[in-house]
Amino acid sequence: MLLEYLAIAVLIVLATVVALIAIGLGGLFGPKKKTVNKSMPYESGMMPIGPGTRRMPVRYYLIGVLFILFDIEVVFFLPWAIVFRQLGWFGLIEMVVFVAILLVGYVYAWKKGALEWE
Amino acid sequence: MVPQDYYIALSAILFTIGALGVLIRRNALIIFMSIEMMLNAANLAFVTFANTYQHLNGRIIAFFVIAVAAAEVAVGLALIVAIFKSKHSIDVDQMSSLKG
Amino acid sequence: MSPELILFLVLSLVAIAAAIGMLISPNPVYSALFLVINFSTVAVFYLILGAPFIAMAQITIYAGAIMVLFLFVIMLLGAEKLAPGKVLPYQKPLAIGLAIVLMVESVYAVLARNPSDAEIIVPTEAANSIDAMRDLGIMLFSDYLLPFEVTSILLLVAMIGAIVLTKRAKGEQE
Repeated sequence: MLLEYLAIAVLIVLATVVALIAIGLGGLFGPKKKTVNKSMPYESGMMPIGPGTRRMPVRYYLIGVLFILFDIEVVFFLPWAIVFRQLGWFGLIEMVVFVAILLVGYVYAWKKGALEWE
Repeated sequence: MVPQDYYIALSAILFTIGALGVLIRRNALIIFMSIEMMLNAANLAFVTFANTYQHLNGRIIAFFVIAVAAAEVAVGLALIVAIFKSKHSIDVDQMSSLKG
Repeated sequence: MSPELILFLVLSLVAIAAAIGMLISPNPVYSALFLVINFSTVAVFYLILGAPFIAMAQITIYAGAIMVLFLFVIMLLGAEKLAPGKVLPYQKPLAIGLAIVLMVESVYAVLARNPSDAEIIVPTEAANSIDAMRDLGIMLFSDYLLPFEVTSILLLVAMIGAIVLTKRAKGEQE
């Protein structure tokens, strides 16, 4: 049965090989003439100021956290969607309670302005 | 055929590396990643037992562990961000404000 | 050696190497990427163990969402530039000693004291079918009803906690 996954393995290997070829060929065949101007970060542009890794604002984190928590919610939907005919009304009520509790969090995030990008 | 004990041993090794990470590293983020790895090792043992006993309990618990880990990461990283704001460091040795 | 055993050995070597890489790399960004490799190999183990749904959850939630959040925070704090603080001189040897004790203890408990002759059951076609998924769903939403509902409260608390901890009051400067 594991052979069913062979296609995925082949895909991963092919993607890696193609990416390596794309990177490798340029380095192998391209001309390499280093001059002072060419090795600047932006050729014929402004000189960059400050460090290359800049700190990101906290806003990104908040959006990321909200994404993950609702992501978990959606993953719980998957097995539910498959069995929801067998579960009938009981399953529907279960899921309504689940979503209602998470909706409280959604309303809270909205009221607090966590979804706004200022 | 692979014996079940091999998988359990791998789970123990990964758990030990995670515990070692918590003990050695002083960077709060790396400590947190090590905790994630320990949870992951426990999950591997759960799924292994679910396979050999052909019972679904282990898989469902592994699924819940993943959900709990996500919630834990959300709050834990928020705590690290808040601590960094006041201390400008995430070295766990610096977080000694409550020490009498 | 059977192909399953070879697959297991190769993958477990990758998993352990990635774990050690996470442990010793000085840059948190590298640690996070090593951890992604580790999580991905564990996802392949879940496939071998006949749990494709858990493998998918592992990839999407763990290797995808959680590690992206980690990388976010590393960039947020600019943590890769932090100078190493001073550590207790005996901390590292003591930690390694304790880890060896833990390892010996767990291996003794599992392999020496209570070895099991159970073998991994190679999953059949049925493990990938929709029926296997259906069994999991029925069990999740009947026997595990309470944990399922409690999970929603846990997610709610996590959401509120994250907002309270990181959201600045309106008008407050950065």
